[in-house]
Amino acid sequence: MSKQLGMVIDASLCLDCKGCLSACKQANQVPEGKWRNWIKDGDLEPAAAARRRVVFQPGGCMHCDQPTCVSACPTGATYKDRRDGTVVINRDLCIGCGQCLPACPYGARYRHPHLRVADKCDFCVQRRADGLEPACVSTCPTKARVFGDLNDPHSPAGRLMKKHAADQTLTQVVNRRSPTDPNLYYLGDPGPKHWPAQAKMPEALEFFKNLVKPAVNLVVGVTGLGVVAMLAKQLLMPGDAPPEHPPQGGDHE
Amino acid sequence: MSSPMIQRHTNTGIFMHWFNAGCWLFLLATGLGLLQNPDLQPLGAWYPGLLRAVFGGGDGLLGAHIAVALLWLAVWAGYYLRFAGRYAVPFLVSIFTLDPRRDLQWIVKKNFQMTLGYKMMARLVRPLGWDGRLPEQEYYNAGQKLAAQVMVLGSLVLAVSGLILAASSWIIDTPNVPWVQWSITIHYLAAGLTFAIVLVHIYMAAIAKEERPALWSMFNGQVPAAYAEHHHKLWYDKLSK
Repeated sequence: MSKQLGMVIDASLCLDCKGCLSACKQANQVPEGKWRNWIKDGDLEPAAAARRRVVFQPGGCMHCDQPTCVSACPTGATYKDRRDGTVVINRDLCIGCGQCLPACPYGARYRHPHLRVADKCDFCVQRRADGLEPACVSTCPTKARVFGDLNDPHSPAGRLMKKHAADQTLTQVVNRRSPTDPNLYYLGDPGPKHWPAQAKMPEALEFFKNLVKPAVNLVVGVTGLGVVAMLAKQLLMPGDAPPEHPPQGGDHE
Repeated sequence: MSSPMIQRHTNTGIFMHWFNAGCWLFLLATGLGLLQNPDLQPLGAWYPGLLRAVFGGGDGLLGAHIAVALLWLAVWAGYYLRFAGRYAVPFLVSIFTLDPRRDLQWIVKKNFQMTLGYKMMARLVRPLGWDGRLPEQEYYNAGQKLAAQVMVLGSLVLAVSGLILAASSWIIDTPNVPWVQWSITIHYLAAGLTFAIVLVHIYMAAIAKEERPALWSMFNGQVPAAYAEHHHKLWYDKLSK
């Protein structure tokens, strides 16, 4: 099975200390007012009142297997990296159109106010290159966030995946109307499960896909066929001269 | 044919034509390659893949597209500033002035003539009192005028939407950017529709036999007087006065 980086998060261990948020901000120089990760509060759902206890749900970009953000990107600047399964943003190819933002059910993306391109969690690609874990994972005092190759039973996250595959205690947080097959799994009660929004494809992109593309195909196709037909006629009927060019020596017939 | 030659294009005009053609085709090829999203890409995944291989990745492709687009815009801007009164404005006036009777008739008759064949057309229209000839035309015939209108307007839309797209990651700070998103769609639409006309233009100018003198004139600037008289009678008469 191919490599798929992801996290297994034991929600029951989270204290809501917000260490992961600040470590991420610092490690990735996330601009003021923007966040690459979050801790959702259990009080978000009415059911929480009945539970009478507080639960927390740490999260971030889920590096989904069916990423709707990738489907919303025109240039391929956002793509699923087959080498490690992460969803990557190539900042040099991103034109900052922002179409991927509402396409993410988790709101994991923002438009970077200084770089003017899309930004989100990349599992701390720079730290990983240096052999370190993502900042949020390293800093978590209770080790609620566990990172690794979900398909490798020897990685910390893969070990938990394997261990809990049998007892079926792993859960995903998914919007049923836009399932993206996320790669963040939860152990324990993660609290709110219905907060992800339905992925919204931008109107301009839908209009492009459903109307502009077929219309241009039709116009260029018909014109191209016309030109080919004219060329065929020119080759097959060489004697058919326009009346403006009467044959030499003869007058208009 | 030993017809005397008359001047049709200036060196500036010839340069602008080929400069524009080169930039336009480069921008068309690279712009199409930038669309990697399979929902939007009309040619299939191989095309953006091929271009990314040639340009060393999508960022190289985007960089080349923007660089050539800015060069194209800068040269056009310079042309309009330097030659506004001499060439540019007269050109625009000439292509946007359509004589409803003469030009529309030309379009209709020319289309029938080309699709049915000249002999067949002449045979069909003779009983209706038409000798198979086309209405006399000015410096540009009606087909050239319509094609030029589409190319000028299409390029204008491409330039504006393209500038918005380039500016998006340079100067636009706001997080919600619907005008950038719509610029992508409009940019593609303008390029597609203009390309359809470019196809016709390439056929008429470079492939159709009877327009061969027009093709050579885009290199040496001259057309045979007989060609000018047959194809652009009103222009020829004006020159002869």
